[in-house]
Amino acid sequence: MRLDNNHATTCARMLKITLTEKEAEKYQAELQDLFAWVKQLSEVDVSQVQDSAVTRAAYLRPDVAVTDENLAQQLVGAFSEQEGHCAKVKKVL
Amino acid sequence: MKTVFEIAQAVQAGTLTAREVVEESLQKIKELNPQINAFVEVWPEEALQRAEEIDARRASGEKLGPLAGVPIGIKDNILYKGHKATCCSKMLAGYVAPYSATVVEKLLAADAVIVGRTNMDEFAMGSSNQTSVYGPVHNPIDFDRVPGGSSGGSAAAVAAGMVPAALGTDTGGSVRQPASFCGIVGIKPGYGRISRFGVVAFSSSADQVGVLASDVKGAALVLETLCGRDENDSTSLENEVPAFSQNFTSDLKGLKVGMPKGFLDNLGEEVKEKILASAEKMKSLGAEIVEVDIPHAKYSAPCYYIITSAEASSNLGRFDGLRYGYNDAKAADLNASYESNRSAFGEEVKKRIIIGATALKSENFEECYLQAVKVRELIKKDFEKAFEKVDIILTPTSPTTAFHLGEHKDNPLAVYLADLYTCQGNMGGLAGISIPCGEDKLGLPVGLQLYGPILQEEKILNAAYLFEKGL
Repeated sequence: MRLDNNHATTCARMLKITLTEKEAEKYQAELQDLFAWVKQLSEVDVSQVQDSAVTRAAYLRPDVAVTDENLAQQLVGAFSEQEGHCAKVKKVL
Repeated sequence: MKTVFEIAQAVQAGTLTAREVVEESLQKIKELNPQINAFVEVWPEEALQRAEEIDARRASGEKLGPLAGVPIGIKDNILYKGHKATCCSKMLAGYVAPYSATVVEKLLAADAVIVGRTNMDEFAMGSSNQTSVYGPVHNPIDFDRVPGGSSGGSAAAVAAGMVPAALGTDTGGSVRQPASFCGIVGIKPGYGRISRFGVVAFSSSADQVGVLASDVKGAALVLETLCGRDENDSTSLENEVPAFSQNFTSDLKGLKVGMPKGFLDNLGEEVKEKILASAEKMKSLGAEIVEVDIPHAKYSAPCYYIITSAEASSNLGRFDGLRYGYNDAKAADLNASYESNRSAFGEEVKKRIIIGATALKSENFEECYLQAVKVRELIKKDFEKAFEKVDIILTPTSPTTAFHLGEHKDNPLAVYLADLYTCQGNMGGLAGISIPCGEDKLGLPVGLQLYGPILQEEKILNAAYLFEKGL
């Protein structure tokens, strides 16, 4: 696996994280070291591991509605900006 | 401070009041926290009021719960209704939990008294408690050294005698390694034993709530209070929970203890010496030492960093500053707002999100993420095979004792490698406990780790209890 020279910056941008120049430089070097270290995993023969072993079944609980009006208000209250029962966000365009 | 068991027994019997216990705890926090920084917030009035209520219920003849009057600290990633929970991150500054985690409900139902929230590495990412927005925690044994992490505040609080027990979370060793560095007991049960409802997710396939305590019996008592199925966490297990604290035996006769081949090869002399002496001690208690082979265990650390970072990049996607957490009011539009808000994450968290996203990118997915997940299956199988031959497995908790604050700052890989012995427990979903097994020449504690199969915590607790008694 190869990381291009601007990987940290482009990946951070995709993740909506802003990096300073200094951070980008530091992360780039650390990511290169880390993925070089991780490369040792490719020496392991995994041909006997079934794909089904890595895709677990989901166990779902019954979908029971919560009717606590107070809790709903508290949850909406955690938004940084609200108007009534709505979360207020900045304009998109 | 008395142990969990001593406090609970005395408060139940009325020879000590819960108020007296909580006052002692709060006094210790007041005296020592300015130097140690183990607690990031303490709730004294509320704790005293709750203690008085417990005392009043006892006075009226009511039978108290198993943790009657026991002061407990909770890690800052565990929700307690009406209280702040920030994961020690600027991202969640000011966030107040609208509901309580199941573990908190269980502590309260058992009549424990939660005295405050403890310091941690930001979003539980780190093993030295130096990434907290509240500043580092200092090891109570040597203030210039780290307490370990990420549950460093919980470990330091117990080691300093502020509380007899505290809750932590363990994704790659975050309960066991700080327990080792601070010279106390730390247990992570098998995956699924304890509900994670109300615990902020880092890596959902590895996260577990664990207990830090001043002794094994206390850890066992708190653990049995927390375990069990919870409808709100689909990964929690249905299986019956034994009374861990009541099932201790008088010796280890018939117990087969595995020592993995090659595990001591890269250890420093002092830690190695303590681990070998611990194996001898187990033998003197009646156990048989057997060599086992876990060939893929050496890949645990790279597997851990790929899988947990991938899951973190997904789990932490919800922190955009709009629903909760840090919000830059000056951002011009929604995109600028996201970018500014998500930059409130600290350095280590941002790095791990980027690592995870890189591993999950379509061109890297198979070679990197899928390969790590498959190797993890081989690690699990190795342990399953080893447990056909032995009852428990003995290893060091950490290759070193507590290091200096600021050490390894420019060498993250050295820190990642230090998780080798603990993160294999999370990759295998095993139960693991760290107990003190001696000190190095500087007086710093060395931790002994015992692993057991996923639903056999009683085996490691029993061996740890007898080891502690005989030390």
